[in-house]
Amino acid sequence: MRRRSFLATPLLLPALASSASARQAVAYPPVTRGHHLVFPRDHGAHPEFRTEWWYVTGALDTPQQDIGFQLTFFRSRPGTAENLHSPIAARQIVFAHAALSLPGDRLRHSERAARANLGARFSSLDCDVGIGAWRMFRQARGADEELRLQMQSPQFSWELTLSPTQALLLQGDQGYSPKGHAPGLASYYVSWPQLQVAGTLVYAGRQQMVSGRAWFDHEWSTALLGEGAVGWDWLGINLADGGALMAFRMRDAVGATLYAHAAWRDAGGRLRQFAPDSVRFTPLRGWSSPRSGATYPVQIEISFGEQSVRTLPLLDDQELAASRPTPVVYWEGLVRIEGSLSGRGYLEMTGYAERLRVAGHSARLPAAG
Amino acid sequence: MNTLAWWLIRAQFRSCRVATLLSMLAIALGVALGYAIHLINDAALTDFSRAMKTVQGEPDAVIAARDSAGSVALSSLEEIARDPAVLVVAAVIETRVRIGHWPAPVRLIGLDVFTAGVVMPGLLPRQAEPAPTGSILEGGVYASPALLARLGLPVNAALTLTRGDQQWSTSIAGDLPAAGPDELLLVADIAWVQEHFGPADAVSEARLRLAPDADPASWRARLAQRLPAGLLLRVADDDSARAANLSRAYRVNLNVLALVALLTGAFLVFATQLTAVAQRSTQFALLGVLGLTPARRLLQVLLEALAIGLPGALLGLGLGYGLAFAFTRLLGGDLGGGYFPGSAPIIVPQATSALGFLFLGCIASLAGALYPAWLNRRQALVQALNSGFAQMPRAGRNARRQLLLPIGLALTAGALLQLPPLFELPLAGYAAIALVLVIGISAAPLLTQQLFGWVATRSLLPAPQQIALQNVAQAPLMAQVAASGLIVSFALTASMVIMVSSFRVAVDRWLDHVLPAPLYLRSKATPLPQDLLAALARTDTPFAHVERTAHALLTLDPQRPGVGLLVRELERSNPGERLPFSGPVIAPPPEMAVVWISEAMHEIYRLSPGQTIHLPLLGREVEVFVGGVWRDYARQFGAVAISRDDYRRLGGDFRPTDLALWPLPGQEAAAAEWLRPYTARHGLELAESAEIRQLSLSIFDKSFAVTHALEAAAMLIGVFGLAVTLAASVWLRARELATLGALGFDRRMLSRSVMLEGALIAAVGLLIGSICGTAIGAVLTHVVNPQAFHWHMPLDIPWLALLAGVASTLATAIFASHYAARQATRLPVAQVLASTQ
Repeated sequence: MRRRSFLATPLLLPALASSASARQAVAYPPVTRGHHLVFPRDHGAHPEFRTEWWYVTGALDTPQQDIGFQLTFFRSRPGTAENLHSPIAARQIVFAHAALSLPGDRLRHSERAARANLGARFSSLDCDVGIGAWRMFRQARGADEELRLQMQSPQFSWELTLSPTQALLLQGDQGYSPKGHAPGLASYYVSWPQLQVAGTLVYAGRQQMVSGRAWFDHEWSTALLGEGAVGWDWLGINLADGGALMAFRMRDAVGATLYAHAAWRDAGGRLRQFAPDSVRFTPLRGWSSPRSGATYPVQIEISFGEQSVRTLPLLDDQELAASRPTPVVYWEGLVRIEGSLSGRGYLEMTGYAERLRVAGHSARLPAAG
Repeated sequence: MNTLAWWLIRAQFRSCRVATLLSMLAIALGVALGYAIHLINDAALTDFSRAMKTVQGEPDAVIAARDSAGSVALSSLEEIARDPAVLVVAAVIETRVRIGHWPAPVRLIGLDVFTAGVVMPGLLPRQAEPAPTGSILEGGVYASPALLARLGLPVNAALTLTRGDQQWSTSIAGDLPAAGPDELLLVADIAWVQEHFGPADAVSEARLRLAPDADPASWRARLAQRLPAGLLLRVADDDSARAANLSRAYRVNLNVLALVALLTGAFLVFATQLTAVAQRSTQFALLGVLGLTPARRLLQVLLEALAIGLPGALLGLGLGYGLAFAFTRLLGGDLGGGYFPGSAPIIVPQATSALGFLFLGCIASLAGALYPAWLNRRQALVQALNSGFAQMPRAGRNARRQLLLPIGLALTAGALLQLPPLFELPLAGYAAIALVLVIGISAAPLLTQQLFGWVATRSLLPAPQQIALQNVAQAPLMAQVAASGLIVSFALTASMVIMVSSFRVAVDRWLDHVLPAPLYLRSKATPLPQDLLAALARTDTPFAHVERTAHALLTLDPQRPGVGLLVRELERSNPGERLPFSGPVIAPPPEMAVVWISEAMHEIYRLSPGQTIHLPLLGREVEVFVGGVWRDYARQFGAVAISRDDYRRLGGDFRPTDLALWPLPGQEAAAAEWLRPYTARHGLELAESAEIRQLSLSIFDKSFAVTHALEAAAMLIGVFGLAVTLAASVWLRARELATLGALGFDRRMLSRSVMLEGALIAAVGLLIGSICGTAIGAVLTHVVNPQAFHWHMPLDIPWLALLAGVASTLATAIFASHYAARQATRLPVAQVLASTQ
């Protein structure tokens, strides 16, 4: 349940949205309950769906400090150029986003965008998606498997190998994950918690070996957003005892919860899912961004069933201003949780700076970074 | 002391107003021309690179096909994009299309908005509100403001783009706010351009932004090894080098013309200052006796030269700016040379270059005054006080020793002419031209002395004529001074006339050879439509014969403009029927493709007949045999011709762009009528060979128009110089003339004597000038033109024009010496005789 799902919709390009009526309707397949996911095929792309993303967040343990990192590949089928035969027609567009959270510093990030066959590529057989030198792919290693992440940017670069320590976590009903009360508002959602990280990180001209824990999400959908939603809070935590916790809520304009969900797999592998009425998000402390003026509840209490946890951000300022595909400001960063469960993971909060822009009036496309 | 210097300068200026002013003007002209050419070219280059920046942006590197018909495969692009040193790969498809029935094709650039912003921000489109299409990804086109204005179409208007047989019906979805005010451009999404106009599975170019920490040099070296043979890696430096290479030779030649004006100016300063030194020898001698040191006397002459040079150069700067401004408005940034089409650049003067030209003007003036200054320093005071100026340095030399200098110089000039071009410019040739001028001037006294001395001793002419003869023969230095300006200006004028005439005759003959058909048809930069080609293949056409040609461009060296590729319907065994070969044609090995290269290509790339070379053709390196070298005045940067059959054998797709048509006898009108629907529908250009010929020659004449203005200016300066020097010599010889008057010479006799003197000196000047001019003309045609432009041509001397020039200059010179003669007849005889006692 990520911010980028918004971007995956036709809102992708402001001008696209402004005249969506002029375009032929594209028949996106629906997300249906009971669909059986098959791996590694379903690690690969599902280009017929409107949106899809592969998302890795994690914490690196370096001798000096904890570092948060995040790499996302986001595929969109905006419904443009559907009738062209050209191999470089802009039918499938890939955005990539990488960020690094360093304590005592601000968040660093870098992004790329390209259309399929012209810089961007993805496989429909297995997880393998990339733009230029950036790449995320799964590969077999003997009897085992691993995920590899590669990215370079002027500010930081990494080359990481993620080794699974646990089985995949199919969210919702065997991977069918509702996003609202309305029928059809859902995604296919696969998580892979507790990935062991090893590799190299280059930052500030220094190359260092790193290790840590990461969380992998793969989600694809056609319709995610319910009426009235302005943003959401999302959390994916690798628990210290080996368990995994995912929770999210959709908010409306006044901050009330429209829909919420939590899934907790304990150290023993037992999965418990929590219905919307048994999940509650309560802001404890706000942090105001000097840049955007937005106030984010960086400390939130989340209760589900009998459990209750609080978030503690690695640093308060993990606000991010992405320029692509549309300029948008949100908070996404490494947090610890305390309470009845403890662990580390990522918290994402959107829609606090302004209502997420769904349409614009400029055809000027954002410049690549 | 300063007061004295200033006073002397003022006195000198007052006494020789015309001469001083003339010298000043000559310097001003030289500076003005040089500065104007510099300003214009600077502005044109800036304009050119600015236009290039809008369209190409400022990428760190560009990867493109060497063959203009080629492309960069998507697979190559993907491989380049994966390189960690590459931040962004902005792919572009560029082509030319016709908009509706608009005759001129317009550049259509297909870009990818996800990457274009980084490299080519100047091409980013702006969506109109409301827009006919959702976004650029959905197939609208975006026009530059200049194009919208030119088309007179509103945003949202539907339009049809055509390229050959391919068509795209779309609409204007917005504009290009960052495009330059003169840019005529269309921008669309790359996929839509590819869909309608190709190339399939490829793009025209990839423009790269490298990672900031990447080492560009080592990255380039690494990539160059992996790059397919048909592709080319270009960096920003290459683009500016190519732009400079485009106009370099042309510009240098114009600058040499400016130097000629400056040189003429220097000679005028020489003449003025020498006469001034002679006139004031008594004055200087007196000052010398009163304590003016020889060094100060030398300095004074130089100071006076500077007083001529500095204002002259300043005037020249102003004049140059005005000229540059006027010329760019009238002719564009290439002075009609055709290198930077369609630009009216803005002139921006810069302090350093202005100072440079100011300095050059002063140096020319000082150089002219060096010898007079040295003479002034060497004057023997007592003798000068008694009897005026003495030509002492010349005394005592015998004719044989005097010959040594010209002979030595001639040998040096001959040696210089054997040298190859330096920095691709005929610098040695220019040096030889300068030497020829020096030889001419140094030969002048020798010739006058020998020729007129001999005539004077052997003939019994009436007294006035005899005196004139003796005068010229015995005052060779004075004659040299008077003649030098004429020698220089006439030699340069004659040489230009000879060169231009030789060139024109050669172009004329060449046009005969390259335009054998009565009718020519061409599409502008796009392949000819299939329906026309199919119709021509039928038997019921009014044509006896049709020959097809396909034009393309090959880039052999990224720092040089591309080489023209001509795929023609030629016989492998008999290419000489269509190509004007300048050397032997070698039969190729039967299994190998053969190409025939132009003289420019032969010289620029050092390729010779009989060689086997690798040509970047059809996306790969192709081994071809060089069968011969042909003459080409159309493509200065080289051309290569290949037969259609060979091209097809190599796997090329022959898509004609030009047709040569031979109508059936008596059906000329029907032929034009037959073609009319096609030319109207597809915007093709139809021309008769006579029209093309006339147009080519008129372009030729236009591009040499500037030289005629220079020739006129040089001649004017030369003739005025003669008049001024004569007048000065009359003044010098006041005593002698007064004596003659006292002896009974009437005014007419005196006047005749002086005019005859002028005529004799002019004749010597013109004789030497013609000889030097012919020599320089030969150097220009045989050395300078081939080395600078790779244009070879036989020498063709326009005797009639030259003789007419000699006659008219002589007449003008005699007329001008009338002015001096009048001064002679107005001398107050008694007073002069009394004062010199």
